[in-house]
Amino acid sequence: MEKRYKSGDYAHVLRLAIILIVAAVLGIFARGMFLPDTMGQYGFYRGSDIEDQRNVTIRNQTNDACFECHRPIRLIHKEGVHKTVSCEFCHGPYADHIKDGKRVGKLPVKKGMEIKDLCLRCHNKVIKARPETSIKVIAMPQHLEEKKVQVTHNCNQCHMVHDPLLWIKAAYEMMGMEMKGDKK
Amino acid sequence: MIDIKMEIQKDRRAFIKNVLSGTIAGSLLMVIPAGAALDERLPEQIPGMRGDDSTFTEKKFAFVVDVTACIGCGSCCVADKNEYNVPDGNYRTWVERYIIDDHDEVFVDSPNGGLDGYTKPRTDIPYPVRDTFFVPKLCNMCEKPSCVQVCPVGATYRTEDGFILIDKNRCVGCGYCIQACPYSVRFLNPVSRTAEKCTWCYHRVREGLLPACVNVCPVHARKFGDLNDKKSEVYKILREPHVISVLKPSMGNRPALHYLGLRREVV
Repeated sequence: MEKRYKSGDYAHVLRLAIILIVAAVLGIFARGMFLPDTMGQYGFYRGSDIEDQRNVTIRNQTNDACFECHRPIRLIHKEGVHKTVSCEFCHGPYADHIKDGKRVGKLPVKKGMEIKDLCLRCHNKVIKARPETSIKVIAMPQHLEEKKVQVTHNCNQCHMVHDPLLWIKAAYEMMGMEMKGDKK
Repeated sequence: MIDIKMEIQKDRRAFIKNVLSGTIAGSLLMVIPAGAALDERLPEQIPGMRGDDSTFTEKKFAFVVDVTACIGCGSCCVADKNEYNVPDGNYRTWVERYIIDDHDEVFVDSPNGGLDGYTKPRTDIPYPVRDTFFVPKLCNMCEKPSCVQVCPVGATYRTEDGFILIDKNRCVGCGYCIQACPYSVRFLNPVSRTAEKCTWCYHRVREGLLPACVNVCPVHARKFGDLNDKKSEVYKILREPHVISVLKPSMGNRPALHYLGLRREVV
């Protein structure tokens, strides 16, 4: 009478199998729908993101880009001790000025005491962490006192901001004097 | 007319030269299309990048920061903010000021990430200062990045040429990577609610331009280049005797960002 214990009814197993298969199919379908096409193309990430990353807008350009149009200042800036200073540091990013070869905005020109703040941002001697091999630092207002000018003077009254030693060198030359130190 | 005649008489040879060069220049202007894209007219800063349309470049990029040259002007921070319109209070790159007194106590500050430069000296140092310097920080582009390992949705990844990038369409803003990064270079962008960090200006590099911060550095403290190119500056620094080190080497992330002349106090 062993047959009594063997049921021929597999309905419950079948039901479970159907549920599992449906769930698997739905899962695969959902995965296909929600995962981006290029996911896993090169690794566990969206492969097409590399293209997206390349297409980020370039907003800063090089000094050469500025000099394409701004010719007169190029001759001064490129020759002077400030040749490594970026135009965009003081004037703002290229993209705010030019878009697709057209002028879209005016970049600010620093005026008045803003200029002094900008100069001292790098050249202020009170910040001791600046290596002397990198930059010439000056103390304010001692520098003005030492040069025997009024302490209210702005930096750009003696220094051409694009080439700080341009006028100084010219003055020395006119007076027939030698510049001391390693001033280039 | 008299002017021209005088000019000719003054120096016939020079006059002909001028006329000729004018003609040549004029015709050249017509030949060269004026509408050529800016990046095609200007010289490449990284050789061999322009026109490279492959998904991954064959290059092995490295970044070198010369701590002994940095003046803490914050040009890099300004350029970075301009390049990406980084929200206020977040920094993709920043400059730290280290002050070590003669009791070997270390003081570090970075007011507004160095974005406004360093204008005031610190007045709260109790003992005479032994050493002081600036340390610019940015993404270390690790060979074994912790941030990529923890991302649950595959939003951050390492390209085959060594850039760690964030897919802002995939990122769910869970912040795991921000906690995982040993160098704290990641932040949650308050506008897009996704993780963001320095990319070494991937979009610029692929166009042959240097990263924005490298391009503006006035003292050449930031250097960027290809280690497979034996003529590049970074190759010469990293493959020849120099005082070089990376941040937190014990973490085992193997960064591609190297520091030149780094003091042991820097973390």
